[in-house]
Amino acid sequence: MRRAAGILVGALVIAATASPAGAYLKLGAPVDGRVVDVTWRAPIRYFVSDAVASTVSASELNGAVARASATWQGVSSATVRFEFQGMTAAPPGMVDGRTTLGFLDRPELDRVLGATSFLIDTSNGAIVEADVFFNARFAWSVSPQGTPGRPDLESVALHELGHLLGLSHSALGETELTGTGGRRVIATGSVMFPIAMSAGTIADRVLQADDIAGISDLYPAAGQVTSTGGLTGRVTKNGSGLLGAHVVALNPETGAMVGNFALNANGEFAIARLEPGPYIIRVEPLDDAEVDSFFSTAIDVDFRVTYAPRMVVAPRGGSSAPVEIKVLPK
Amino acid sequence: MKVPRVPRVRRVPKGLGGLACLVLLIGTSAVQAQDAPALRRHRFVLDGGVVWSGSYSIGDVDAKLRSNAPGSAPPPFTLFAASSEVGGVPSVSARMGFTLSSQVMIEGGGSFGMPRVVTMISRDIETNPQTLEGEQLRQYVIDGALLWHLPLRLAPRVRPFVIGGAGYLRQLHEARTMVETGQLYYAGIGARYWIRGGSGTARSFGLRTDLRANVRRGGIDFANKTRVFPAVAVNVFLSL
Repeated sequence: MRRAAGILVGALVIAATASPAGAYLKLGAPVDGRVVDVTWRAPIRYFVSDAVASTVSASELNGAVARASATWQGVSSATVRFEFQGMTAAPPGMVDGRTTLGFLDRPELDRVLGATSFLIDTSNGAIVEADVFFNARFAWSVSPQGTPGRPDLESVALHELGHLLGLSHSALGETELTGTGGRRVIATGSVMFPIAMSAGTIADRVLQADDIAGISDLYPAAGQVTSTGGLTGRVTKNGSGLLGAHVVALNPETGAMVGNFALNANGEFAIARLEPGPYIIRVEPLDDAEVDSFFSTAIDVDFRVTYAPRMVVAPRGGSSAPVEIKVLPK
Repeated sequence: MKVPRVPRVRRVPKGLGGLACLVLLIGTSAVQAQDAPALRRHRFVLDGGVVWSGSYSIGDVDAKLRSNAPGSAPPPFTLFAASSEVGGVPSVSARMGFTLSSQVMIEGGGSFGMPRVVTMISRDIETNPQTLEGEQLRQYVIDGALLWHLPLRLAPRVRPFVIGGAGYLRQLHEARTMVETGQLYYAGIGARYWIRGGSGTARSFGLRTDLRANVRRGGIDFANKTRVFPAVAVNVFLSL
């Protein structure tokens, strides 16, 4: 789900009881007592609804979705395949065995730009169907240069398709509180950040390193597992594990940043599908978005930004030895 | 065979002799070469000692986020900045040379040191600048060089030389999960101080000091740049 600057609702939240995810924050489903990644096991065959919005035709919607799906499909380190099946009169959100993307008029969701829903095979975590709706109450832009004051449909489609592929939200971003109690994005390091950039911007049509690491972890291309590396560790506060600490790894050679969370009560984290080499690790509280956009349980955000004492090497084809990062209360 | 001692004209403090000579090289008028001490030709020369290498940057990086601003490529927002360097470190070295003539010598050798990679964090919007504890490298250098002993005499027991060489660099991260290799090129000046011999004796020994400008390519470097840093070596030599 992606909201315009404002309130956040975490409809698609990974279970916070799992072992650390391999990389990124991914959608998970409980299967046989453990949480598995939610993924497609076949090419994604999708339909586009022919319903229109006030400023966007069905063909323009189809074009924006096609460009966004091509962007995900173009990640060379992942194997993602979309297949457009045609236009449909059926709206998104119906359990009909069809993956449908389209407009829905949801005036009651006055800050929700779009959302994704799933039908999942609970025996193995495979996605059977996923629908994406874009809220028709907004005046959308499909202009190549963007339109001042209007949210960019391609950017939001790229975000929602990330959910459709099995990615959850990224916390790699900075926000500030607005006078109305909402949040305004200052900057982000991921298309999957839960709050959209200001209306009129089109920068989020391009995936960032965090998005690419995530999709490469879910759908690794041939050789990815052996040609990339990972980081593992534990975040502790007063000797105890810290669930929900946001861990950011910076590659000092490329400047690429990838984030993840300490995802269990031991404070353990893992970031995979990284380019091999040393990383600077920064741990911060989740304070730039609403916690329920990420976690279904309460987490501790009362600690200071802390760096790992040394760079940690992600070895090719493996993971680093666990590093412990001790944080202090604010 | 007893060899007459070379008369001392000027005493150079032990251990500082080489450095003093480097200064003297600039400002002292030269004396005739035939008065200068020399290694015998076609002899092996063994060296052992310590090389101190200066620190050098291995890259600066900004952790950039995409700004929420109009346009497809707005100027980035910096979450924090990191600047890393390989710290200065002493290494142990051992070398073997062969005198092609009384003035020219080729030599090869190796050194081992454990420099520390230090990273400074700055411009973090949520915390103060800080220096990370850092990590240690195991650094090996194997090199070869050409020395030319200058036809100068700075003092009765001292003779300057110039040196140029190249080597292979191998740096192993402390976690033993990352190895980087590179090349090292250097040029410099130095001087030998004969404690014994240096004037027709079969064997001689003394101190040698070099001041070099090192040019390093490859190795651990986040910007993949060529780096220049100083090195000072102090060795004991034995001419066989």
